[in-house]
Amino acid sequence: MTIADLSRRTLLQAGAALLASTALPTFARAQNAPSGGRLIVAADSEPKNLNPAIVASNGVFFVASKVVEPLAEASFEGKDGLSPRLATSWEGSADGKSVTFKLREGVKWHDGKPFTSADVAFSALSIWKPLQNLGRLVFANLEAVDTPDETTAVFRFSKPTPLQLIRNALPVVSSVVPKHVYEGTDIGANPANVKLVGTGPFKFTEYKPGEYYRLTRNEDYWAEGEPKLDEVIFRVLPDRAGAGAALEAEEIQLAAFSAVPLTDLDRISKVPGIKVISKGYEALTYQLVVEINHRRKELADLKVRQAIAHAIDRKFVVDTIFLGYAAASTGPVPKNAPEFYDADVPTYDFDIAKANALLDEAGYKKGANGTRFSLKLRPAPYFNETKQFGDYLRQALAAVGIDAQLVNADSAAHQKAVYTDHDFDLAVAPPVFRGDPAISTTILVKSGTPAGVPFSNQGGYANKELDDIIAKAAETVDTAARTDLYRQFQKLVAADLPLINVAEWGFITVARDTVLNVSNNPRWAVSNWADTALQS
Amino acid sequence: MRLIRNLIRTPEGAIGLGILALLVLIALLAPALSPGDPLKIAARPLLPPFTDVNFPLGTDRLGRDVLAGIIHGTRTSLAVGIAAALAAIAIGLCVGLAAGFAGGLVDEALMRVVDAFQIVPSFLLALAFVSVIGASVPVVVLAIALGAWADPARLTRAQVLSIRERDYIASARVIGMHPVEIAFKEILPNALPPVLALSAIIVAAAILTEAALSFLGLGDPNVVTWGSMIAEGRNILRSSPSLSIFPGIALVVTVVGVYLFSEGLTNALAGRRSEA
Repeated sequence: MTIADLSRRTLLQAGAALLASTALPTFARAQNAPSGGRLIVAADSEPKNLNPAIVASNGVFFVASKVVEPLAEASFEGKDGLSPRLATSWEGSADGKSVTFKLREGVKWHDGKPFTSADVAFSALSIWKPLQNLGRLVFANLEAVDTPDETTAVFRFSKPTPLQLIRNALPVVSSVVPKHVYEGTDIGANPANVKLVGTGPFKFTEYKPGEYYRLTRNEDYWAEGEPKLDEVIFRVLPDRAGAGAALEAEEIQLAAFSAVPLTDLDRISKVPGIKVISKGYEALTYQLVVEINHRRKELADLKVRQAIAHAIDRKFVVDTIFLGYAAASTGPVPKNAPEFYDADVPTYDFDIAKANALLDEAGYKKGANGTRFSLKLRPAPYFNETKQFGDYLRQALAAVGIDAQLVNADSAAHQKAVYTDHDFDLAVAPPVFRGDPAISTTILVKSGTPAGVPFSNQGGYANKELDDIIAKAAETVDTAARTDLYRQFQKLVAADLPLINVAEWGFITVARDTVLNVSNNPRWAVSNWADTALQS
Repeated sequence: MRLIRNLIRTPEGAIGLGILALLVLIALLAPALSPGDPLKIAARPLLPPFTDVNFPLGTDRLGRDVLAGIIHGTRTSLAVGIAAALAAIAIGLCVGLAAGFAGGLVDEALMRVVDAFQIVPSFLLALAFVSVIGASVPVVVLAIALGAWADPARLTRAQVLSIRERDYIASARVIGMHPVEIAFKEILPNALPPVLALSAIIVAAAILTEAALSFLGLGDPNVVTWGSMIAEGRNILRSSPSLSIFPGIALVVTVVGVYLFSEGLTNALAGRRSEA
C-alpha cells in the first residue's frame, strides 16, 4: 500500500469523523478533541532493535512507546509525577524489599490475548533485569516477582531498593511485553523486537526500512475514546535540514527531538500554521558536560580544573550555541529535577583573570608562545551543539593559554577512544538525566566502572567520599534521607569537579497548528500519544 | 621562459595564472592580512556581511570572522591541493616509468594495481582512509593522493612505451648507459609535459575533494577550510546564506583558476611542440 493510497482513504475517514464530531454534543475537553486522521512525524533514526523492554533509549521509545506501554508514565500533575498506565497503583514496603503493583483490568494484547501479572513478572525477570541497559541497574537486586492473582505483581528484592528510585525509573524501565510471544525463544532475536506486540493505543502495522513506520489505531485500547488518531506514520528523514522544509510543505505535521535545527526555529516560528514548543521534554533533560581525563597530571590538579570551569562562558554557550533554548548548569543534577536539585553548590563564574591566576598558581606558567600546555579535546559527534561547543571550548581554553587540539570522529570511533582506550584529555559529552541520579549522573563520576562501558566515568577519577555517598544512597529507602544524600553528592561534585557541567537542555518540538494535545507530559515525545489529535 | 610567454599569450592561461598568483599571494600573506587565529571568536555571532568595516564579510554562528576564515582557508586549500597533486604525480610518474620501461611481468603487475585503484571511486577511497586513520592535514593529503595517482601512472606508461622505441633511446643503450640513467635522463623529461598538463586537473580535483571531506566533518578541525565553513553555514542556509556562499565562491574561483591555468598550459605545451 502506498502513501498516496493511504491519504485518500484517510481523508475520507477524517471527513466522516468531522461530520460525526460536529453532530455530537460537547464532551469534556480531552474527549472533545476530534478523532481520526493520520499524523505524519519525522523520524531521524531506525533502531535495529525496537523493543523498549530491551533498549530503553529515546530513539526506540519515540516509535515503540505508542505500541508497548510502561507501568506508569511521567506526568505534570499526577502524584509522584506519574500517571498510571498498565499499573493503577504501587506501594513499597517499609524495609524497601518489596513493591506491590496493582495492574489494570481488562487490558488486551494486540493479538487478542489478555494482559496479566504473568506478563509483568516475565518482562521484569527475563528482560528488564538481565537484558535492559537501565533495568540492569534498577532491578539489580530483584529476586522474584510474585503473582498472587492476575492483577497483582509483587516485586521482591534481595537488598533494600528505594521506592523513590523505582518510581522515578518506571516510565523508562517498565515497558511490558507479552510473555506468550517471548517465552522459550531467543529474546534478543525474537521477530517481535521489530514487529512489536504491545498493549498500547497503536498497533505496529508496517515498517519499510529507509522509508517509514506505520502504526494504526488499536480498537480495543483500554482507555475509552482513545486513541484519537487513526494512524501515526514515522517518516524517516535523516537529513536535519529537511525536516523544516517538510513541515512547511505539509509533508509532515510534527518534528520532535529538535529535528528542526535550533538555528531554523526563529524563522520557522514565523511561518503561519506552525508552532514551536519547548515544553514536553522536562524528564528528558540532556546535560552538556566536559569529561576530564584525570590521568593527565595537569588535569589531576584541582586548580587546573577550576581554571577551566572559570574559562567557560556559560552565558555565551546558552545564548549563542543553544540560541537561548538551554539553561546554564550549576552541578550534576539539572534544575528540571526539582526533587533533587540543589542550587547551593560552589559555582564558577566566567572570569579569565581568575582562570589565569589559578593556572599560574598551579605552576603552569605561559611559555614563550603564550601557551601553558596542550590538550587533546574530543567533542562528541551526536549533536551539532556538542560539536560547536567543542569549537568554542578550544577558543575559550586558548584565551587562558591552554592549547586544545580538536579530534573529530564518528560515534563509534569517539566512544571507543573515550570510553575504552581513554585516548582523550577533555571530551564533550551530552549525557541524559533520567529522572533519578542513581541511574544517570552518578555513573559519570563513581569509580570502578570497567573500561568499555559507554557514558560512564572513564576519566580515571576516584573519590572515596563520593563513592561512599553514591553507594549509601543506592540502598537508602527513606526518601528524605536519600534526597539529602544526593544533595551532598551535588555539592561534592561541584567542589571537586570530576567533570564540568556547562549547560542543560531539552529538545524542541515543531508542529503544525492542526496537531492538538502536544507536549502535555514531561516525556511527551516518547509517551503513547493516545490523546493526540488532528484538527481537520 | 618561452613556456610562460606562450601561456600568457592565451587568454585562459593569462586569467588562470592571474587568479592563481593572487591566491598564492593571499595564502602566503595570510598571517599579515588577518593576524591571529582565524578560529578566534572575534565579534557578535551572525553579523551580516557588509555592515561592519572590521568584519566585511560578517561573522559565523560563533562569532568568527568569515573573511579571516576565507583568507586562511586559501592556505589550507592550496597547500592540500598542491601537496596532494605533487604526491599523486610523484607516485604516478615512478610507477608509470617503471611499468613502461621494464615491461613484461613488472608492467602487468603494476598495471593491475593501477586498475585496482582506478575502479574504486577516489572520493570513497579518501573517505574510508581518513575515517580509519583520523583526520589531520597529512592524512587528508595522502588520502587524496591515493585516489589520484592512477591516472598519471597510466599516462606516463603510455608515453614511456612510445618513447622507449625511439632511436635515441636505442643509441643510449648502445653506448652503454645504465637503464636507470636512461629512464630518468632520457625518457622522463620527454614523457613529462602531458603529465604536467594533467597535474592542474589533479590539483583542482584535490581541492574539491578536500572541501568535500571537510564538509562531511572529516577535515582537520584545527584549521579553517572552506569545506568546513560551508558545512557550518549549511545549517543556517535559509537565514544566513552568506556563510555558505562566500567560501563557496572562493572554492569556485580557485577551481576555475586552476582549470584555466591547465587549459593555457596545455595549449602552450602544444604550441611549443608544434614549433619544435
